Amino acid sequence: MTDAAVTVATETPLRRRKRPRAVFISGIAMLALIALAALTAGLFWPAGPWVAAGEPYTPPMTAPGLPLGTDVLGRDVAAMLAYGARVSMLIGIASTLAAAILGIVIGATAGYARGWVDDALMRFTEVFQTIPSFMFVIVLVVIFTPTIATITLAIAVVSWPPVARLVRAEFLSLSSREFVQSCRLIGMHPARIVFAEILPNCFSSVIVVSSVMVATAVLVEAGLSFLGLGDPNTASWGGMVANGKAVIRSSPYLSIIPGFAIFVLVLCINVVGEGLNDRLNPRMRN
Amino acid sequence: MPSYASFLIRRLFQSFLIVVGIVIINFVVLNIPPGDMADVMAGTAGGGDPGYADALREEFGLDEPITIQFVNYMTSLLRLDLGYSFTRNMPVMQAIMDRLGATLLLMSTAILLAFVLGVLMGMIAGKNAGKPLDAVISVLALIGYATPLFWLGLLLILLFTINLGWLPSGGMKTIGMRGPWWQQWLDIGEHLILPAFTLAVFYLAIFARLMRSSVIEVAGQDFVRTARAKGMTEGRVYLRHVTANAMLPVLTMLGLQIGGMLGGSVVVETIFSWPGLGRMTYDAIFARDVNLLLGVLFMSSVCVVVTNLLVDLLYSWIDPRIGLNG
Amino acid sequence: MEINRRLFTLGLGSAVAWPALGGLTTAAYAQSPVMGGTLRIILSEPVGLVSAVSSQGPIAQISPKIFDGLVEYDLDMNPQPQMATSVEMSDDAQTMTVVLREGLTWHDGEPITSADVAFSAMEVWSQFHPRGRSTYAALTEVETPDELTAIFKFSKPSAFVMNALNASEAQVVPKHIYEGTDILTNPNNLAPVGSGPFKFVEWQQGEYILLEKNENYWKEDEPYLDQIVVLLIADSASRAIAFEAQEVEAAGAIPVSLADARRLEELPFIEIPESGYEAYGNNNFMEVNVRREYLADPKVRQAILHALDREAMIKNVYFEFGKVATGPVPSTISTYYTADVPTYEFDTEKAISLLEEAGFTPDGSGVRLNLTLDPLPYGPIYPTVAASIKQQLAVVGIEVTIRSADAATYYQRVYGEGNDFDLTITGASALTDPTIGVQRFFWSKNIIAGVPFSNASGYADPEMDEILESAAAEPDPAKRIELFHKFQVKAATDLPILPINDMPYFAVKNTRLQNSEVSPYGFGGSFSTAYLAE
Repeated sequence: MTDAAVTVATETPLRRRKRPRAVFISGIAMLALIALAALTAGLFWPAGPWVAAGEPYTPPMTAPGLPLGTDVLGRDVAAMLAYGARVSMLIGIASTLAAAILGIVIGATAGYARGWVDDALMRFTEVFQTIPSFMFVIVLVVIFTPTIATITLAIAVVSWPPVARLVRAEFLSLSSREFVQSCRLIGMHPARIVFAEILPNCFSSVIVVSSVMVATAVLVEAGLSFLGLGDPNTASWGGMVANGKAVIRSSPYLSIIPGFAIFVLVLCINVVGEGLNDRLNPRMRN
Repeated sequence: MPSYASFLIRRLFQSFLIVVGIVIINFVVLNIPPGDMADVMAGTAGGGDPGYADALREEFGLDEPITIQFVNYMTSLLRLDLGYSFTRNMPVMQAIMDRLGATLLLMSTAILLAFVLGVLMGMIAGKNAGKPLDAVISVLALIGYATPLFWLGLLLILLFTINLGWLPSGGMKTIGMRGPWWQQWLDIGEHLILPAFTLAVFYLAIFARLMRSSVIEVAGQDFVRTARAKGMTEGRVYLRHVTANAMLPVLTMLGLQIGGMLGGSVVVETIFSWPGLGRMTYDAIFARDVNLLLGVLFMSSVCVVVTNLLVDLLYSWIDPRIGLNG
Repeated sequence: MEINRRLFTLGLGSAVAWPALGGLTTAAYAQSPVMGGTLRIILSEPVGLVSAVSSQGPIAQISPKIFDGLVEYDLDMNPQPQMATSVEMSDDAQTMTVVLREGLTWHDGEPITSADVAFSAMEVWSQFHPRGRSTYAALTEVETPDELTAIFKFSKPSAFVMNALNASEAQVVPKHIYEGTDILTNPNNLAPVGSGPFKFVEWQQGEYILLEKNENYWKEDEPYLDQIVVLLIADSASRAIAFEAQEVEAAGAIPVSLADARRLEELPFIEIPESGYEAYGNNNFMEVNVRREYLADPKVRQAILHALDREAMIKNVYFEFGKVATGPVPSTISTYYTADVPTYEFDTEKAISLLEEAGFTPDGSGVRLNLTLDPLPYGPIYPTVAASIKQQLAVVGIEVTIRSADAATYYQRVYGEGNDFDLTITGASALTDPTIGVQRFFWSKNIIAGVPFSNASGYADPEMDEILESAAAEPDPAKRIELFHKFQVKAATDLPILPINDMPYFAVKNTRLQNSEVSPYGFGGSFSTAYLAE
């Protein structure tokens, strides 16, 4: 999934038409709203999502104070949703950050060193690109037991290759450019060339790639939780859908609501990612 | 231009290295944590006596040092012997072959569906770029791209099975069905619709988006303008020049997607009780059936590598101008 | 026939034998059976079809249809002849003589002889069957003076063997197929040549297993059914839909989610039988690692139990299945069960004061104690129960961290070296006798690292050991019952294990299916007299 997302985001030269600004702005606004809900969950539900708030299986809009109803244990679905947003966003961002760092380090090393180092690192990258990623994430999470940390790292482990390839490509093209050549001529320290000259020039493309990786990471986390591989101590949207699945006939709202939340979050991230792509992608700045 | 043979040999060697790398990584990962299959088997057996798990370990060679186990595994792998699955009670190869058909049917249908519809939608959108039709298709693609697979599956079951009663909710065949071959195929087809569509939607969206931008890009290139200038009709221009060229990046993407789709099939097979590899793999992870897992991951990576190879060859066949170096 | 089978289990010193009478309880024949037809049942994919080498749940359900046992047990747990016409245990309980029925054949036509019995006991059960390894640990040899007689010799009294002679515990396998092969990987384990009322036809992995009537079965007119199609459906929601669409007649061992079971029950053609799972004594409980300093005080354990509203858990999480457990012996084992034990009603005030007494005061954020909880990683119910426990214990200031894991990790954590756990929510079968199914969790000599379902709590109490050991050796049934009552009081006082609920191991079936619960093993029976009503 990761590769696809990245390719779509980076190799899509939509020269003809920028998407409307309004869509981009409303995507950001919606994301901000979800983030706000995640951050302020503690104010509205100070006791956390793990308290019985009413009769189990109360449908939405039937009990005062429980707009989205309650689940199998009588927990407030709205509270679960807000706390679940934390997990989705946290894992989405943290795993992408980790993958980006890993990808930059590997890509930069390969692109700067070239030669056999480059060769070896690129073979290594291909290995990780070839492993069926979701299956590998499942293996990692099961083997190292599901917690927020292991899930984050497992997603990062399968997500970094596109970043590495991108950064390597940027390095290869940038280091032959004049400004880098002249830095070399004046005897600038290689570390300084990398950190002060080349890396900053890669950032915009890395950000574009990353925005889409966040969306993928959110989907992967949801998929894991749906399979029962989420952190059992947190409310997570995928886990909520899985719990609702058993009672999908009598209480379909328990699977529909959290699934819709995942959909909206991923949609917004994608919209914002595309907006960033339109604005930051170096290939589009003519 | 290098010959096909040398290209093939080089690529095959690279692919071989990749597959070996994958096996090594998986072997290491699967042997890091505490506990093994003998624990699980003793557990599912309801306990047993202290010697039971040890007897199993001895039987399965799990009492050997890990390095010896690794060497044993790699040498038998070279003979294409994937070992024995103790949780399925049969050679790993047989366990995989028993399920491979169902997974291949599901995946190939999904790929076909995603590719054909995706390319078609992308064509239409690209040709009408900026018009309402383009907007509709783009929004649909955006939605397909953001919908969680498992949620879509549940919604489809809710709608088509529970509410409308039109389609079966799971399985691959009607139980105990005995009829002429065409009836059997029809029956499988009916069971295939929901899982294949669920699996296809995400990729359909990707292909549509990619095709759209690719069409826009190609349509602006010189050789297309030349064709137009020669007085070719717009329809022919698209059919003869734009489509084939615009499809190239979509083909590459297809190759890259096989691995991801295998992962998606774990989820889809779980929701729709599809008797394929995905579900078996998931169970194997929980039972710590290392041999079976390594076997499945090995076969999947071979699958991915071979597909990529085929895509490369197809690529050069569609567009001979593209060298085999790339 | 009137002899109480449990006497055998206790090593009663007298010769015990039962006469060779045919047939099951007459009640089973109240309605005249319908001959023919195909029965469709659902099963999770088994790892094989031969119980002699594995005690895995799904195998125990299907294998007895393909293989006869030496005996079969009726609903009151009395042995009934099957392959054997008589089984006799000597006074010293060290010699057991089995006489086979004349003219029995394997499904491939070969005759079944005492050599098959001897081979199965010596080379298969005592080597590879997880329970057989201990049941037959004292078996030294099996003599075969003639084709039909097998004489088992034990090095010490082994009267309880009489308890384990049915098709899932002691399954006779064909010697001519297994001899000289690697028994665990013999292809016969997947495509068996059996001896029972149904013959194996084919197994489509992931789809179905097909069995057909054995025309040469020794019982006249049986089996009634022509075919059994075993559908291998893993997903419980798909199973429910199959029941609803009447695409399937039956499935055992809690085949669908509890919510679906309640929903299906409302349908006029579905029933959930009241019996047919007695032999499993299924119950759920929470083991406490009493080695932990903060869990060593019984007051803390009592507090935890007081903090749990088990009635509400049964209502919401278990959908009204089962009832609150009072102790480790499930109420289904009515002979030994007593309700007259200390009980711990839902009372958070009391829980808090007990914690205060034990010296656990709240910190700044109201937390008195941090504990981990490991749910048994099978099925969706334990994680939900764990979530419910976490939620309830938070109210009294116990912060629970749930740790989910795959089975291998779970067994290592709870039963492995070091016993790295605080609480685990788990379940087990108490089987038919507390000595066999319950003692293992409380007996200090059963604290064995690396053995799943041993004494994981680390509870070691000389008085408890004394009670358990004398109960196991006691020949007088009345005294034995008394000892087990004492055991239950002691267990409920010390609380190394917190009882949660007794859970019926129920089946779901279409009302057309008749005669399927003729033994306490229910769906693990042979089904030779099961039939589909018109």
